[in-house]
Amino acid sequence: MKSLSKSQVPFSFGAPAMIWQVLFFYLPLALIVISSFIKAADNGLIEGLTLDHVTFFLRPLYLKVICSSFILAISNTIICFLIAYPLAYFIAFTAKRFGNLFLILVIVPFWTNFLLHVYAWFFVLDKDGFLNILLKGLGLVQDPVSHLNTPFAVIIMMVYYYLPFMVFPLYSSLERMDVRLIEASRDLGATWLQTFRRIILPLTKRGLKAGFFLVYIPSFGEFVIPELMGGDRQMFVGTVIADYILGEETGALGAAFTVLAMVFMLLSAVVIYWIIERFIPGKSHG
Amino acid sequence: MRSVRLQKLKKSFRDGTVISDVSLNMPAGKFFALLGPSGCGKTTLLRLIAGLEKADSGKIFIGDEDVTDLPIHKRPINIVFQNYALFPHLDVFDNVAYSLKLEKLPKRIIEQKVLKILEAFHLENHIYKRVTELSGGQQQRVALARAIVNEPDVLLLDEPLAALDFKLREKMLIELIELQDKLKTTFLYVTHDQFEALTVADQMAIMNHHGEIEQIGTPKEIYEFPLSSFVARFVGTTNIMTGTLCNLDKEPEIEIEQLGRFKIDLSQKHKKEWMVEGCNIIMSIRPEKIYISKNVVENFSNSLKGHVQSIVYHGRSTQYNILLKNGMRIQVFEQNEEHFPQQVIDYDNEVNLYWQKENAVILEK
Repeated sequence: MKSLSKSQVPFSFGAPAMIWQVLFFYLPLALIVISSFIKAADNGLIEGLTLDHVTFFLRPLYLKVICSSFILAISNTIICFLIAYPLAYFIAFTAKRFGNLFLILVIVPFWTNFLLHVYAWFFVLDKDGFLNILLKGLGLVQDPVSHLNTPFAVIIMMVYYYLPFMVFPLYSSLERMDVRLIEASRDLGATWLQTFRRIILPLTKRGLKAGFFLVYIPSFGEFVIPELMGGDRQMFVGTVIADYILGEETGALGAAFTVLAMVFMLLSAVVIYWIIERFIPGKSHG
Repeated sequence: MRSVRLQKLKKSFRDGTVISDVSLNMPAGKFFALLGPSGCGKTTLLRLIAGLEKADSGKIFIGDEDVTDLPIHKRPINIVFQNYALFPHLDVFDNVAYSLKLEKLPKRIIEQKVLKILEAFHLENHIYKRVTELSGGQQQRVALARAIVNEPDVLLLDEPLAALDFKLREKMLIELIELQDKLKTTFLYVTHDQFEALTVADQMAIMNHHGEIEQIGTPKEIYEFPLSSFVARFVGTTNIMTGTLCNLDKEPEIEIEQLGRFKIDLSQKHKKEWMVEGCNIIMSIRPEKIYISKNVVENFSNSLKGHVQSIVYHGRSTQYNILLKNGMRIQVFEQNEEHFPQQVIDYDNEVNLYWQKENAVILEK
């Protein structure tokens, strides 16, 4: 049912945002797509269309880069999910009147300067950092090594940064769920795990999907964190794009790789979406 | 069909709601109603029985089995929740089939059972609808069907009709009685509505604000012979008068200030130990037990004069509010038996009120 007040909001309300999006997102995007298929002559004029730029990247080296990005993004997303779900559940159901406080605690790191985070993590992960002091103290490590510039450092920073994007949508759909549904399920003979699978998870599916894509898509193209925390040992999609776009006369190649990565990212997102829909029963709700 | 026995159950919360020392026996296969004012802890008691809350102390038995420490999903008890708590992401069929699917019954048997029960509840045209598309009455039926499809020993109903309108509620009450009669499952019906409780119950218990059971009995016993002024006031409407007990040895009477003495019935059955000459007592008379007339009538043990202050027409009966000379007000219900009654009682008329001593209940103050 469409309410009167809803349909009365004039189209012009959305116009500024739409104009902004078109000018500064869709138009540049179209330019990137076009330029990746254009063959330019030495004098800068357009000679015709070509697939050369795209096929340039169809080599194991670059497919490996896309794979690394995919693994980074999907592991980041899954780790965020595994941490965020219990946290959101706790805030929505157990914390009660302190719920807002916890939400603020989740978001506070987000308000702090990004570089500050990075440097803070340097202190934690460095050879003489807090992590090693702790590990040594516990007798788990004798000869500490630096954790900086490792995949471990990258994933820690990624999870640290992206966690709120997962917590908030999950929280908002958990918070809207009626606790009595959980009680009803238990009452009808379901264990806690069965209740989670059959009731809680399906009823928070919308939040789960939102959280999944809010984390997955940006972390696929993440450039800064791998650059700062991972050193130059591993190449990710973002690194390659930056190299070519900023490189001399390799802009078209950069654009082509962007398009290629984007296509892969969208396809994988569709697959993830399908998996979520397939394995969590029930229609979307909440 | 098994009985439910509560033994000295206690539960208190930080917000003050409390169950204090409740012992109750709900006989197997009977319709039992628990009646109490809002916030008295009756829902808490129901949640304790279901296993949704843990008692501070005391025991719960289903039949002879001690279920006090049995987790909720293992108790042979199902609840019909106040707001139904239907699963919004499942259709009617999957809601009803929920418990059967958990038992991992064969698909064919699940289908049979669910379809049979949906038919019995007149829901056969809504099998694949989402529960949010149903009306309140239909949702209520789905909730009931879901709760009884796996044949629990005990069914707990938590104010199940509160959200329905009056006509539908009356109809559902009758359906519930017939359903219980057919299934012979032990029903525990929790409500604050005395009309519902009196209608459905084979036996009922009255709970007061402190989470204590005041009285247990059949609806008739509770209504006609309340054991405390709380029960007298809470169940039905009544007129309460306070006075002192006198003439105990011969013909017992109550003396009410400014009104005089009235005969009361303290024969063997109603005589209690605390009743001594001159003690304070309460007399409760139901409004329908009082006869009102402008004329003088013989053969009543007691009579009283008053002025009609207001008249409320209820259709099948008329309620007169009578002002007595001590400033007290009394309610009287008169059946509207005739289209054109012989005497018309109007505002400000002086009237005589009559009642038999056996129809008044004497309670400790």
